[in-house]
Amino acid sequence: MQLFPRSLNYLPLALAVGAAGLGVSVTFVFWYYFSPKNLQVGYAPEQPVDYSHKLHAGDLGIDCRYCHANVERSQEAMVPPTQTCMGCHSIVKKDSPKLAALRDSWDSGNPVQWVRVHKLPDHVFFDHSAHLAVGVGCVSCHGRVDQMDVVRLEEPISMGWCLDCHRDPQARLRPKDQITNMTWSGGDGELALAEVNPPEHCSGCHR
Amino acid sequence: MNKEKPSRSGSKIFWRSLEEKAQATSTEVGSDVVKATIGLGELNRLNRRNFLTLSGAIGTLAGIEGCIRRPAEKILPYSQTPADVNPGEALHYATVLRRREESVGILATCYEGRPTKLEGNPDHPTSQGGTDLLLQAEILELYDPDRARTPSKGGIEKSYAAFDAMLDDELGRLLGKRGAGLRILSQPTNSPSFMRLRQRVMQRFPEARFHNYAPVNDDNVRAGTSAAFGRPLEVLPRFDQAKVVLALDSDFLMTETGAVQAARQFGAKRHLDSAAGEMNRLYAVEPSLSVTGSNADHRLRLKASAIGEYLKGLAAELAAAGVPIPGLDAAVRGAKVEGIPETWLKAVAKELASHRGESLVVVGSRQPAAVHGLAHAINRALGNSGRTVSYTAPADAGARPSLEDIKALTADMVAGKVDTLIILGGNPVYDAPADLGFGEALNKVNISLAVTSHRNETADRTDWHLPRAHELESWGDQLSRAGRYAIQQPLIAALFDSRSDLDVLAALAASEQRGQALVRETAGERGIAEELAWQHLVQKGADERDAAQIFGGLPIQAGSLAQVLSAPAGGGEGLEAVFLTDNKLFDGRYTNNTWLLELPDPMTRITWDNAALLSPAGAKGLGVNNGDMVRVSAGDASVEMAAWIQPGMADGTVGLPLGWGRRKGGSNFHGAGFDVYPLRKSDAADIVQNVTVEKIRGSYSLSQTQDHDSMEGRPLAVDATLQEYRETPNFGQFASPDMSAGPLWQTQDYSQGQQWGMVIDLNGCIGCSACAVACQAENNVPVVGKEQVAKGREMHWLRLDRYYVGEDENEPEVAYQPIGCQHCEEAPCENVCPVNATSHSPEGLNDIAYNRCIGTRYCMNNCPYKVRRFNFLNFNLDIPETRQMQHNPSVTVRFRGVIEKCSYCVQRIQGARIVASREGREIADGDVVAACQQACPTGAIAFGNINDPNSAVSAKREVDRNYGLLSDVGTRPRTRFLGKIRNPNPEMKG
Repeated sequence: MQLFPRSLNYLPLALAVGAAGLGVSVTFVFWYYFSPKNLQVGYAPEQPVDYSHKLHAGDLGIDCRYCHANVERSQEAMVPPTQTCMGCHSIVKKDSPKLAALRDSWDSGNPVQWVRVHKLPDHVFFDHSAHLAVGVGCVSCHGRVDQMDVVRLEEPISMGWCLDCHRDPQARLRPKDQITNMTWSGGDGELALAEVNPPEHCSGCHR
Repeated sequence: MNKEKPSRSGSKIFWRSLEEKAQATSTEVGSDVVKATIGLGELNRLNRRNFLTLSGAIGTLAGIEGCIRRPAEKILPYSQTPADVNPGEALHYATVLRRREESVGILATCYEGRPTKLEGNPDHPTSQGGTDLLLQAEILELYDPDRARTPSKGGIEKSYAAFDAMLDDELGRLLGKRGAGLRILSQPTNSPSFMRLRQRVMQRFPEARFHNYAPVNDDNVRAGTSAAFGRPLEVLPRFDQAKVVLALDSDFLMTETGAVQAARQFGAKRHLDSAAGEMNRLYAVEPSLSVTGSNADHRLRLKASAIGEYLKGLAAELAAAGVPIPGLDAAVRGAKVEGIPETWLKAVAKELASHRGESLVVVGSRQPAAVHGLAHAINRALGNSGRTVSYTAPADAGARPSLEDIKALTADMVAGKVDTLIILGGNPVYDAPADLGFGEALNKVNISLAVTSHRNETADRTDWHLPRAHELESWGDQLSRAGRYAIQQPLIAALFDSRSDLDVLAALAASEQRGQALVRETAGERGIAEELAWQHLVQKGADERDAAQIFGGLPIQAGSLAQVLSAPAGGGEGLEAVFLTDNKLFDGRYTNNTWLLELPDPMTRITWDNAALLSPAGAKGLGVNNGDMVRVSAGDASVEMAAWIQPGMADGTVGLPLGWGRRKGGSNFHGAGFDVYPLRKSDAADIVQNVTVEKIRGSYSLSQTQDHDSMEGRPLAVDATLQEYRETPNFGQFASPDMSAGPLWQTQDYSQGQQWGMVIDLNGCIGCSACAVACQAENNVPVVGKEQVAKGREMHWLRLDRYYVGEDENEPEVAYQPIGCQHCEEAPCENVCPVNATSHSPEGLNDIAYNRCIGTRYCMNNCPYKVRRFNFLNFNLDIPETRQMQHNPSVTVRFRGVIEKCSYCVQRIQGARIVASREGREIADGDVVAACQQACPTGAIAFGNINDPNSAVSAKREVDRNYGLLSDVGTRPRTRFLGKIRNPNPEMKG
C-alpha cells in the first residue's frame, strides 16, 4: 500500500534546498543588514545647535583646525568649546535666535550637549594626531563635511574598513599641508612616506 | 632536570609554604578537586528551566537590540577651556604626600582635571621617582565613595551653615575665657602652614592647647637622640654610602619613616653589572620576619626585648675589636647574650670595625630609646656620623611625643578640663592606647568635633563631624625631614563638600584666607613671594634645596646615655607580643582601600585579613595550625583572632599586625581581620611582656594566594652567593637554560624594528609590592573579594611570588619574584586560542583583544607561568561613580567572561609612539616606562627596545646572570630575570 504520493520522494531534496536557501538568506541578511555599513552609515542626528559645516567650512572656507584646534596634538579632534564659537559670534550674528543654546552655554558655563556621530566602541583607541601626522586627510574618514548642513556618518568605521586602509595605506596618504583640503586629489601612491607602517596587530588599536 | 647546577646542587629546596614543604612529594591534585567542586556547586543553581527562560529572553532582546541603533552619546565640550588642558591628553602635576613622618614628592597624572595615577617626583629627594604601595593606593582613597559628604551632628546630616553657626557661637564663648578648655588634637605635622596657623590660633586663644597623636610614630627615635645627644632629632641614614648595614628591629625598606628613599639608596648598593662588582651586606636582627629582614644577607631572629642586650654585647665586642665606645664601657659590660650565636657578636663586630665610616647601625622605631642611643654612640665611634648617617632638627621642633601627648589630653578630658575638642584627622577612638579610654573620655567633653575623611570610630562618638578634604584635593605644604619645602596643590576640586586642616585652623584663627592664600602666605614668609617664584615652586613641586641644618658628628652625652642604658631591659622568659606596622594598612588608615585589602601581604601572602603570627615551634607548642582561632591576652585585655605560622618568627614572640578589624567608616573592611589595638597599652605600646596565647575552639578561613599558582618546586627565583657568582657568572642559565632547538613551526623574525623586552633584577627586588598596586592602578585591574581569592580568582596582572629557600623553617632565606606576562616569543597561550583573540604583535607583545575572547580559558591553562586571569564575574559592574573616576581612560575596562593579563603597558607604548610620530622622530630609550618599572623604588625593572643595543634594557640583558623563567620549555620569554645574589659573610658560618 502506498500511503504517500510519489511526489513526496522529492521532499527531502526540497527540504535540503530550502534549508540551504534559508541559510544563505539568513547569512546574507546578517552579513548585509547587520553590518555597520548598513546600520551606521547615514546617521545624521539632530544637534542642539543648528550648525552647518557647509556654511562654515565650505562656503566661508574656515580651516577645520580653526575649531578642532587640538586635532594635531591630541587623540581627540576636540569638539570646540563654546569659547571658540563665541570668538566670532559675540560680533557676528550675535542676536540670532539659532544661537540661543550657544549663548546659554556661554553665560551659564554649562556645555552644549552635542550628539556624537562618529562613535567607536569603548575598546577601540583611535588617535587623531597619529593619523594626521602621517598624512591621512580629514575627508578620508569624515567625508565631504564641507558639503554637509548636518553632519552625517559617511563611512562605516568598522574594523574591516579601518583595516582596508591599514593594509594599504599608500593610496590614502597626502602631503601634510593638504590634510584639511576636502577636494585634494592626486593620491597616486608616490607620496607615501617610507616609514608609514600602520599597525595591523591587536594592540595597535585595542588596549 | 635543573640538577646540573654546578656549585649549588639541586639539593636546595624552594618552598612557598609550610604545607607545601611538608607535602613536597604529594601531588596537589586534591586542592584542585576542591576548587572544581565549588565551581560546580555554583553552576547547579542554574537549572534547565532557568536556563531556557534566560536564553529565550536573551534571544528576544538580542533580536530587538540588533535592529535598534546604539543609544545616542553626548559630547560635552568645555564652555571655556581651562588653561593648559588638552582634552584627551594627560597632564602631570607635582604635589606632595605624607608617608609616615616623611613627605614624598609626587607627580600626578590627570585627564581633564581628574587624577588617575600617582608617580614619584624624580626631582624630589625623598622619592627620586620611586613610590611605595601606599602612595600608589592613595589615589583610591581620594575616590572612596564611603567618604563623608556633609557635616553631621550625632550622625544626622547638617548643613555647613548650621555647623558654622555652631562654631561661631562656640568660639565666641571660648574667646571670653581666652580659649581655656579648647583643645585641638592633630596628627604630627610637618607643614609650615599648619604651624603658622597654629601660632595664629594660639594668639587668639592663648589658653588653648594643641596635641598630636599618631599610633605609629617616631617617638622612640627622637627619645633615642635625646638620650644620645641631649635633643630630639630626626635620623637620616644614607644607605647609599654604607657597605655594611646592621638593622636592629628596623623595617627600613617598608614600614619605617623614609622607606621610599631608603629603598632607593639600598637598591643602589645592591646593583651589580658584573661579577666584579661590589655590593653591600645587610645584617638584620628582628623578632618577626619583615620585608627588610627578608632581604638580609644574615638574619637573626630574636625577641624584641633582647635586641638591646644584643647591641650591648656587640658594643662590648666592638671595643675588643678596637672600636671603644667612649664613656660607655661600663654600661655595655655584662650584657645578657646567652643563646645568641657567637658569630653574631664577634664576626659582626669585626665586620663593622673593618668598615669604619662606611657601615651603619639602624634601629627600628619599636625599640626603646636606650637601644637607639647606643646605636648612635656606636655609629659615632665607627666614624659613621656625618658619612652614613646624619641628623636634623624635627620640622615641628616643639612637638611632644605622641604617646605622652595623648595621655596628657585624655587625662585632662577625664578631669573635665576640656571644654571643646577638635580632632583634625586620625582615629584615636580606634587606635589610642586602650588603657586611656579615649572613647569614654570624649563623653566628658562639652563639644567634640572630628574632622575626618570618613565617619569612622572617632567621628561616631564625637558630637559633630566634618568631612576632611583629601590631600589631593586641598592646598597644603610639607617639609621633608631634611627640610625640603614642598607644595601640596589640589589636583581636583573637592569631590565632596569637605574642609582641609588648614581651612579649619584658619576659621579658628578668624582668618578670611583659605586654601591657596594660606599656603602662599607661608611661602612668602619663606622668601617665595613673587608670582614667578611661586609659579616655579608649584610647578616643580618642591624647593631646590634642603633647608634644614644637617648635623654630622654631634657629641655623645655619654653620662646620661649610660644612665638610660643601665635601666633594666623589660624582657623576661614569658611570651612577648610585638605590634607590627601593617605592611598594607599601616596603622589602619587605609583599611577601606580595596587594592590594599586584596593585595597579598608581602610575607604571609594573606589577603583581606591579618593574623597572629607565631613561630613554627611556638605554634607546635600550642597545637595550633594556620587559621586556628587563638585568644591572645595581655593583662586584662584579650583578643580572639586567627593564627598564622610565620617562618622566621622568634620563638616566644607573637606578632600582631595593627590596623585591622575596624568597625565604622567604610563598607569594604567589614569582617576583614582582627583589631589588636585593645591589647595596646600606653606603657607597652610597642612590645608587650607576659602575653598568653591559647588555642580556642574554631578556625577561621584565611584567603591567601600562597598556594595558588605554585611553580612545583622548580628553581625559578634563582639565587647564588656573591662568591658563587664570581665562580660561575652565568649561574642563572645553568638552572634555567635556554632551549637550543627551535620549535617545529616557522618562527617569526624579531630582528627588525622595536622589540619590547623587560629585565627584572631579582637583586633589586625587595618584595615591597609597590609594582603590584601600580599595575592595578594603571590597568584598571578589578578587586574580586575574599571569597573569590579563596577560589583562586584574583585578578592581579602582576603578582609577587615569595619563596622560602633552605631547609630550616625557622631561618628561611627569602626570594621574591615579580611575575607578569612573560611575553613569550613562542607563546603557548596563542597556539591554543580557538578564536585568535590572543596573538603576537610584530614587536614581540603578546596581545589580547578582549572583544574577541570567548572565555574558553584554554590559554590560561596552557600558560606555564599562570599569569592569565579570567573575569569569572562582572567585577566592574555597578562600581560607584567616584570609583570609576580613577579608571585609566587609555585602558579598556573588561567585562565578564574574558581573559586579561599584563600587556607590558601597551597603552604607554602606543602613547609614546604617537607622541614620537607627532614630533617626527623615533621612540627614544626611556620614552616608554611601564607602570611597575616607574613605581619600583629600587629601580629593579628595566624596560625598552631590545633591538637597540644602547638601550638600558639591552645593557641589562647582557648581564651574565640573566635567565629566562622556564626557558627550558622553549617559550623564549621576553621578560628576563637577573639572578639574585646574596652576600653572606664567610665568617658567619658555624
